[in-house]
Amino acid sequence: MTSPSRVLSGIVIYPLLVAGAVITLAPFLLGLLTSVTSTQQFSTESPLSLPTPPTLANYLDLADAGFGRALVVTALMTAVILLGQITFSVLAAYAFARLRFPGRDVLFWVYLATMMVPATVTVVPLYLMMAQAGLRNTFWALVLPFMFGSPYAIFLLREYFRTIPADLINAARTDGANTLDVIVHVVLPASRPILVTLALITVVSQWNNFMWPLVITSGGEWQVLTVATAGLQSRYNAQWTLVMAATTVAVVPLIVLFVALGRHIVRSIVVTGLK
Amino acid sequence: MLGYVLLAPSLFGVVTFMLLPMLVVLWLSLQRWDLLGPIEFAGLSNWQSVLTDRSFATSLVVTVLFIAMVVPAQTVLGLVAATMLARGLPGSSAFRTLYVLPWICAPLAIAVLWRWILAPTDGVVSTLLERRVEWLTDPGLALPVVSAVVVWTNVGYVTLFFLAGILNIPREIHNAASTDGANAWQRFRRITLPMLRPTFFFVLVTGIISAAQVFDTVYALTSGGPQGRTDLVAHRIYAEAFGEAAVGRAAVMAVVLFVLLVGVTIVQHLYFRRRITYDLT
Repeated sequence: MTSPSRVLSGIVIYPLLVAGAVITLAPFLLGLLTSVTSTQQFSTESPLSLPTPPTLANYLDLADAGFGRALVVTALMTAVILLGQITFSVLAAYAFARLRFPGRDVLFWVYLATMMVPATVTVVPLYLMMAQAGLRNTFWALVLPFMFGSPYAIFLLREYFRTIPADLINAARTDGANTLDVIVHVVLPASRPILVTLALITVVSQWNNFMWPLVITSGGEWQVLTVATAGLQSRYNAQWTLVMAATTVAVVPLIVLFVALGRHIVRSIVVTGLK
Repeated sequence: MLGYVLLAPSLFGVVTFMLLPMLVVLWLSLQRWDLLGPIEFAGLSNWQSVLTDRSFATSLVVTVLFIAMVVPAQTVLGLVAATMLARGLPGSSAFRTLYVLPWICAPLAIAVLWRWILAPTDGVVSTLLERRVEWLTDPGLALPVVSAVVVWTNVGYVTLFFLAGILNIPREIHNAASTDGANAWQRFRRITLPMLRPTFFFVLVTGIISAAQVFDTVYALTSGGPQGRTDLVAHRIYAEAFGEAAVGRAAVMAVVLFVLLVGVTIVQHLYFRRRITYDLT
């Protein structure tokens, strides 16, 4: 296959691929550079000039603006939702995949149907419900709507659990294992790839969540990173060095995760097709 | 019994945070509420005011235009990128991974980043062009520019699905066609494209449904302006409920959006089911 046509196509294709990479990366790099530029330099020189010298002053200002707390709240929120979603989705998926009980198929159908319910539609009624429950601007309001499992995760896990050989489960059963033992010691170890996939997708979508936290929290107490960044941007509209430091803090943890697990994430996206 | 015990937590979640809100939003559409005061029955007045209202009609039109720009652009660019990556040249997988980067970042942060890049005075683009362009406040430019930012975010994601689809096409089909004298374009046109039909279906449906719900990008880039030119329906719902405190009207809009989205899913399913292509088994 190292024919002349292949070399020729390489000559055409590589420049296009590189152009795509530059267009993808340039905004991030420019934002990063601006975030380490001093306010004085930014206001006097071209926004494209290199920071001389680079400074962390903008990041220190962010700490004063409460970004440390926002970072902790975001991480905590993501962790709680991740733990809850995986645990409860696994339990439900096991029931749908391996147990027989009346109404099982109807319930599964109901779960599938709720996948059509978009967040944009539920945000207003959920706000009312949370306000009535007295949970507005609390940590619980951030996590409750997402932590009891996701129908889509349950659907994917169920498909996966059905491929686990019944003999494996029956063998554990004859050794006296109860259902919880079976799930923990047989099903979960056999399902590692799909669990990694779901965990990654959950972390990405929850870390980036904006609309719900924006609506249900107010002030600095339970502010997440996306909301803090939006707030900073509207308050300090022209202070781009500070604002770029904020966007950097908001995206860097996921970019690090991405660099570490890029291959897994790419596969996860193709498997789940969903955010 | 055990089945119900295992289902209990997720069932609680599904009922409380998905099914109940659907009922509440229907009920809210018949009420008047300003977020603070008491909730009062309003009959069909919200429905009447929303459906005869300029701002909602504008917002629906803007959303349709936005979808019409974003979905074809990201689909074509994704297909082109996937076709290039599918040649398997060295480094392809690195490019593939890199292109997805914008998609995994918070759309809100991406929008703030682009707001600076497009800023008329000290932004990157204005500096490079050496002239001031009001990318986000010019009524003719704002929507195409917002669309472009969304396309920039999504292309890598779309590419992944086309790439997986192309790599799934058995080599033998291409080889057989080559033997019969088909050139590269003919093979692309007669084999690759038809075999990618399920991928097109997936990419178009998810593309439309997610574009119809874009909120963060508009919130940070334009707040729906200028003159409502970028007031996508998700942003209108938000602004109606939490900006203008007209929660009943926002609920009406949410119900309409839901019906439209379900309609899109059904229509596309019917259309593609009839035309889904060549199962080779």
